[in-house]
Amino acid sequence: MTKEYATDFTTKELLASFIAHQVRDGERVAVGAGLHVPRAGILLAHLLYCPNVRLYVVMTFTNLIKEPKMEPFYTVTDFRPAKWAEAYVLHDDFQENPRLVSDMFVVGALQIDKYGNSNLIGVGKDYRRLDFRGPGAVGTLSMAHYVDRYYLYVQSHDRRIFVEQCDFISTIGWGEGGADGRRKLGIPGNGPVYCITPLCIMDFEPISKRMRLKSVHPGVTVDQVVENTGFELIVPESVPETEPPTIREIRTLRERIDVEGMLRRS
Amino acid sequence: MIPERKSLIIDERQAAAMIRDGMTIAIGGFINSSHPMAIVRQIIRRGVKDLTVIGPASGGLDLDLLIGAGCVKKLVTAYMGGEHYCPIAPLFRVAAERGEIQVWECDEGMYYCALRAAAQGLPFTPWKAGIGTSFPQVNPDLKVFTDPINGEPLLAVPAIKPEIALIYAAHADPYGNVQHIGTGFGDRALWRAAGKTIVQVEKIIPNEEIRKNPLATSIYGADAIVRAPYGSHPFAAPGYYIEDEEHIREYVAAANAYAKKGDRRPFEAYLHKYIMEPETHADYLDVVGIKRLISLHEY
Repeated sequence: MTKEYATDFTTKELLASFIAHQVRDGERVAVGAGLHVPRAGILLAHLLYCPNVRLYVVMTFTNLIKEPKMEPFYTVTDFRPAKWAEAYVLHDDFQENPRLVSDMFVVGALQIDKYGNSNLIGVGKDYRRLDFRGPGAVGTLSMAHYVDRYYLYVQSHDRRIFVEQCDFISTIGWGEGGADGRRKLGIPGNGPVYCITPLCIMDFEPISKRMRLKSVHPGVTVDQVVENTGFELIVPESVPETEPPTIREIRTLRERIDVEGMLRRS
Repeated sequence: MIPERKSLIIDERQAAAMIRDGMTIAIGGFINSSHPMAIVRQIIRRGVKDLTVIGPASGGLDLDLLIGAGCVKKLVTAYMGGEHYCPIAPLFRVAAERGEIQVWECDEGMYYCALRAAAQGLPFTPWKAGIGTSFPQVNPDLKVFTDPINGEPLLAVPAIKPEIALIYAAHADPYGNVQHIGTGFGDRALWRAAGKTIVQVEKIIPNEEIRKNPLATSIYGADAIVRAPYGSHPFAAPGYYIEDEEHIREYVAAANAYAKKGDRRPFEAYLHKYIMEPETHADYLDVVGIKRLISLHEY
């Protein structure tokens, strides 16, 4: 069956569709609240493709397959979605086994280097006098260590974020590179798989584990990505356009998940 | 004569009076929910200084307020912000950039390791995540050592023991049996690690109510109970009220005036209006107003 692609969609909806295709049925998947796009993408995967995922939503586990419409929640402490709970997650159990919380994870960052190492601590050379103090690592470091794989997600794409070297590393990607970059450090898991930005999708070249351009979003040129990336990006000879969302995905997003239209605003 | 079971109920002023300059305290909840704000505001009113504050695993604007009011010397948490209200807590950011506070840099996994070691009376908990990162460099308390079993590098996360933990929950009886509504976030970990635990509750309920559902008892043996209705305001209280969005935005605007433009007057005005001027928690609720408070229902 050929896919019926949508023609009218925003970049955020495109990215939600891309993220939806990263989820595998039966997995445990943490749904954050603050990042609207990953939240929508994971819920989209659940409603259309992965009826058996266990969603970690605002400190509860649940399955929302029969929920006609998601009421919006913007914080991980909003108690209202707890009406869906099948189980409570005591947050201190996190340390007992972070793997129980999620099989995949989305990590945000202030800085990302060419091996997908990332920084949420702050920007500046001297830790005691940072030029810009970040929010802190949250649970990203431990989650990224224990999950099967993770995805880097940033809301802008420029040379301040994509840097030759992070001032500090709060979450390890491929370390100093190479397919054994993580194993050398004794770190399990498959590490960062894709880096998702408003301009493009990037993956990691299998031998060097250096970041490589995978696809550009409609209206974005390869040059534009290269210009806005502060390290040397691997650019294959032909770079396709990011696969658009289907009509069904857009309809599901707008009617059941993103009813308040967060993804339709720029 | 039959001995009587002792009531542990105190008020927020008696609770805050137990917090002295230079102490290590913990404050429970999670980002925008479940903070013992009646006690926190009273600590600010008393002008307590040089506190080492262990926040929740992810801290919120209650800690930002304490930093802005000058009570904090050192902060232990893995995140400081208000999610969509402000991605990075404003007064925390400037205080950390200027070196006015020390940050015990960690992630949520390491944070619980430190509390677990304290609870178990161990010097440290080993943790794997963090090897290869900047954490041992920016937080010298974290030591890389060689695992004696497999010979691989591991991180030793040292114990951090709160002298007093201040926790918010929905209900307690007068004898220190506490029942949260919702998960209680990481509050149990603070209780297990702390020397003493003071729990501020929405409502005091009879011991008979506790016995109807002992499985719901999250903390058995708090050292003191403070009753403060709407006591987590402006933050949420599961089962009672949602966060006061308008009030939080008012705080963020005041804090940002200082953090972004160097104008401290709006933050000072906030402190004056909501903390220094009202003498008690009840006076604070008067300033916020009953109409606003009862508009914050969950459904």
